[in-house]
Amino acid sequence: MPELALTVNGESRTVDAPVGTSLAQLLREHLGLTGTKIACDEGHCGACTVQIDGVPRLSCITLAHMVDGDVTTIEGLREHPLIDAFVRADAVQCGFCTPGQVVSAAALVAANPQPTADEIRHHMAGNICRCGTYPRIEEAILKWQG
Amino acid sequence: MARLIRTEKEVEGRFEEIWLVIEEDPLQQWPAGPRDVVGRPATRQDGPQRVRGEAAYTSDLQLPGMLHTAILRSPFAHARVNRIDFAAALALPGVRGALGPGEATGLDEEAGYVGAPVAAVAADTFAQARAALDAIAVDWEELEAVLDPHEAVAREIFTAPPTRYERGDFERALAEADVVVEGTYRTSVVLHNSMETHQAVCEWVGDTLNVYISTQYIWGIRAEIAEALEMPADKVRVVCEFMGGGFGAKNGAGEYTFAAAELARRTGRPVRCALTRREENAAAGNRNATIQKLTVGARSDGTIVAFGGEFVNAVGWSGWSTMTEGPMKMLYACDNVRTVRYGAKINTPPMKAFRAPGFVEGTFGLECLVDELAAKLELDPLELRRLNYAESNDGTPYSSKGLAACYDLAQKHWDRRDEVRARSGSTWKHGVGMASQIWFGGGGPPSYAWTRVGSDGRVAVVTAMQDIGTGTRTVMAQICAEELGVPLDRVEVVLGDSARGPYATLSAGSSTVPSVGPAVRAAAADAKRQIVEIAAQRYDLEERVLDIRGGVIVSADGNLSVPLEELLGVLGDAQILGKGARGPNPTGMSVNTFGVQVAEVAVDIETGEVRVVRVAAVHDVGRIINPLGARSQVEGGIIQGVGHSLSEQRLLDPKTGRVLTTTLESYRMPTIADVPEIVCEFVDLPDEHLTSLGSKGLGEPPIVPTAAAIANAIRDATGADVHELPITREEMLRALREAEQRANAGAKETVAAR
Amino acid sequence: MRLVRATSVDDLDGGIPVHGGTEVVPLLRDGILEGDTLVDVRGIVPRGVDGARVGAGTTLAELAASEDVPEALREACRLAASPQLRTMSSVGGNLLQSTRCWYWRLKYPCRLHGGDVCHAREGEHREHAIFANDFCASAHPSDVAAALLALGARLRTNRRELPLEELYRLPDEGDRTTTALAPGELILELELPPADASVYLKAMDRQRWAFPQVGVAVARSGGEVRIALAGVAPVPWLLDGPGGLDSATPLPRTAWKVEVARALVRRALERVA
Repeated sequence: MPELALTVNGESRTVDAPVGTSLAQLLREHLGLTGTKIACDEGHCGACTVQIDGVPRLSCITLAHMVDGDVTTIEGLREHPLIDAFVRADAVQCGFCTPGQVVSAAALVAANPQPTADEIRHHMAGNICRCGTYPRIEEAILKWQG
Repeated sequence: MARLIRTEKEVEGRFEEIWLVIEEDPLQQWPAGPRDVVGRPATRQDGPQRVRGEAAYTSDLQLPGMLHTAILRSPFAHARVNRIDFAAALALPGVRGALGPGEATGLDEEAGYVGAPVAAVAADTFAQARAALDAIAVDWEELEAVLDPHEAVAREIFTAPPTRYERGDFERALAEADVVVEGTYRTSVVLHNSMETHQAVCEWVGDTLNVYISTQYIWGIRAEIAEALEMPADKVRVVCEFMGGGFGAKNGAGEYTFAAAELARRTGRPVRCALTRREENAAAGNRNATIQKLTVGARSDGTIVAFGGEFVNAVGWSGWSTMTEGPMKMLYACDNVRTVRYGAKINTPPMKAFRAPGFVEGTFGLECLVDELAAKLELDPLELRRLNYAESNDGTPYSSKGLAACYDLAQKHWDRRDEVRARSGSTWKHGVGMASQIWFGGGGPPSYAWTRVGSDGRVAVVTAMQDIGTGTRTVMAQICAEELGVPLDRVEVVLGDSARGPYATLSAGSSTVPSVGPAVRAAAADAKRQIVEIAAQRYDLEERVLDIRGGVIVSADGNLSVPLEELLGVLGDAQILGKGARGPNPTGMSVNTFGVQVAEVAVDIETGEVRVVRVAAVHDVGRIINPLGARSQVEGGIIQGVGHSLSEQRLLDPKTGRVLTTTLESYRMPTIADVPEIVCEFVDLPDEHLTSLGSKGLGEPPIVPTAAAIANAIRDATGADVHELPITREEMLRALREAEQRANAGAKETVAAR
Repeated sequence: MRLVRATSVDDLDGGIPVHGGTEVVPLLRDGILEGDTLVDVRGIVPRGVDGARVGAGTTLAELAASEDVPEALREACRLAASPQLRTMSSVGGNLLQSTRCWYWRLKYPCRLHGGDVCHAREGEHREHAIFANDFCASAHPSDVAAALLALGARLRTNRRELPLEELYRLPDEGDRTTTALAPGELILELELPPADASVYLKAMDRQRWAFPQVGVAVARSGGEVRIALAGVAPVPWLLDGPGGLDSATPLPRTAWKVEVARALVRRALERVA
């Protein structure tokens, strides 16, 4: 079974990778999609967040061979209004966690286009930012529609 | 003209006397207040790249044929490698090379802590390299380990001789004081945990070594590697355009870089060495723990007459003993101060600079002590601070000091006390506390920048500095745009490559803006002068009547108004090149940042839960170049401070000295849900003695007073004195119980009144 | 390593069952779980809420958003782990998760790993147990298990039905495991008896995304009140009435947990009264 087929950002991809390969590894090393970051590699920090069928998942602890839906990475969200909202609000410092933040935020606003500050804090708590851009992230999501 | 001087250089609170070649910087400061570009909010020039996941970090680099390195680390707190045998490891699939102790800088025979690097293996994949570690046969000789800093002090096992300081007569002043307050304060080890772990990729191209590295100091890496490998520095090219956080931990090269360089040399392949998150937590450096026994004596009117402190820095196996007594010496006017500081060398992971090292710890102790004095004297803590205001740094004048202005701006936040306390109910108690900060952050020479203006009227600023995420790239573009008189979007900043620009300082010690900024302005001014010279010849006008504004050459009488690109169209392939250097710091002056933070907290007195509700930060760091980025620095520093104060704690197994909190689940940094409301204000007046910008650094100041302000707010809310960071529920409940016992015991004092 | 997509429980065949993978994948990487066959059980474990029945494959995020489950369960799921972990992890897997004890996770040769010492008892144990901590001082991290225990949930596996409390066992010299699940046995469904009122209160190190220092679930059904605790014993802990905390046996650095638990139990009881 090493060969697997999956849909990433709307494109069908077929990859040869051993069982045990994480989705994050597959995206970064096999598909060259390095916007997805690996910061802890054990499901604790959210830097690797991608969407599977629109739901935020931790790609670093998702086995690539168990992916059961369409994968959306930051590369598939580059035209999302959240990108500009993050830049406007200065919701980026070192930027290493930021793609994961945007992927989580995009899932949130898709389900709830006008989240409150409390809802943002609840739904974004799995994305750690060591630089502490959180107040800016909250503002970016509150004002994501411009 | 270049001038050679003997001067004192400060980095992260450490001073050294050096020879320095400097160039004068004759530019006049801009008047205070927002200008066309400087002083106005600017979004990050590299923001879209970072947010869209396009920015290439060291971790994203994949070179053809690249090998991956795993590092063998000591399982013992103190041990020696007597013999090491790689034969079995080298026979494993994919393994291409191995290094033992002494074969690369940082891989040592003697391991001084659990996790100390001793050997490295390179293989086709990281998994193969890691698997090979288990096949390395090591004959370890276990040595005696000292884990307790008190034991190290008792046995005089120090990183450096004890540092003693005295001014005035502490003993006599204390004896004559009306009130004396004593306290012991503890801060614990906290970890940088940058999101991108420490890592480097090394590649030899002919006799040149390319080093791609997540670093705060590309020139420091270049120098360290050139020295270690005994090669000309220009044969080492260091590249770091984007990096995922440092906070002080990435100022040096580290074993991962030296190992990658040597393995790349031996294998002829590019080699990556990246720490895992667990290695990051166990071995990549930390803010060391401190124990501070502090004393203050005051007259009954609140005049502080004596400060005394005994500081133990539990440094670890390597690192340096920070100036934990700094705030006690510098923050208040006090004629009689006596301090001693011990740097305990113990068999725990290494200390590395972490955002205002020493001053974060020392300010926690000092500012809690001062508030306890205020409580004892029944004085308003803000008034007590105003009363003991230091006009000079022990006789040396400050280049500028806006702390009084900070206090005035903070008054309205401080005046919320009654309103906040009135929110208290039977279980949740609310209170307000404050703390001040003093730090360095003035930067210094040398740093250089070039400007390059092309026939299209666009400008490149070229300087081999790094933007570690603080937004300095954008700040440099703003300074250049302001000086040249062009719109911000015409300016690109080329940075992060030692082969593509002149020397610039490290991004640490809040020094990038105050060090590189003036060089960029000087380089822009140099280009502008040349453009004006050309315009004067082209339009037959005197240089003195010409200026560039908004990208247009204008004459004073308004008759000339020509877009820059129109004038510069005559250049063709010619270019205008400007150069600039950072001038000297003012002689005989102390350059420091100042500020005050007012924290509002809520404490659940039954469960010990502490919530930080609001933090108002007012800082004086001279001129603010980019208010948008400056606010982010303040928020980020405060949020890290909240983590240090409440939830972050690196724990060791007391028997083996092994780090137990190696994951981001067990080492708990704040999430978005832990963030208080943050209000950010600046005095925003240029330091008239400091460079042509009058700007100081801001990366570190906001973290300095955060913990003390929180602890003081807790006292205000509950009457409990917390003396230990982090303020866990256990510590909070202990302090509450102690306060209750004190109250029950009536007049029984924990402080001695005389 | 190979991956089998199970179409029936027979496909388990000694392999390691994986559902969300949030626990199994990290434990495999750390070598705490060993095996060369993974069995994807998503196809054979029911998912979704149907009246009082909850499929064991239902995710915590789904339960947190469900109007059909009792408050205590909903709140325990809402406050469990991180948002992404909640979208990935199944409730059945959550019940089977291992302790966060750092010694166990770092593979110290502790009693749970078959050794003869509890390193936490003598070492760093500030987050550890206050009950049944003599043999092993680990604390069970499942918020959800405490809620389900208070609610009196029953489990259906491919072999039997049992009350949740019988899923758990305290480790001892003869058997170091903390669950009574047999090899090849898989939790398929939960059944929740009706509750008149229920609540879950959680003390944690951060406002979100932390395992419980102390979690308190209380459910009232008619005159009967059940209290269950997370983070206080090697297994989810059914408290013997409000006075049950008097029999806690805290370690030197876990005494604070008793105090926290007392306050939370009192508050939770007030809430369901």
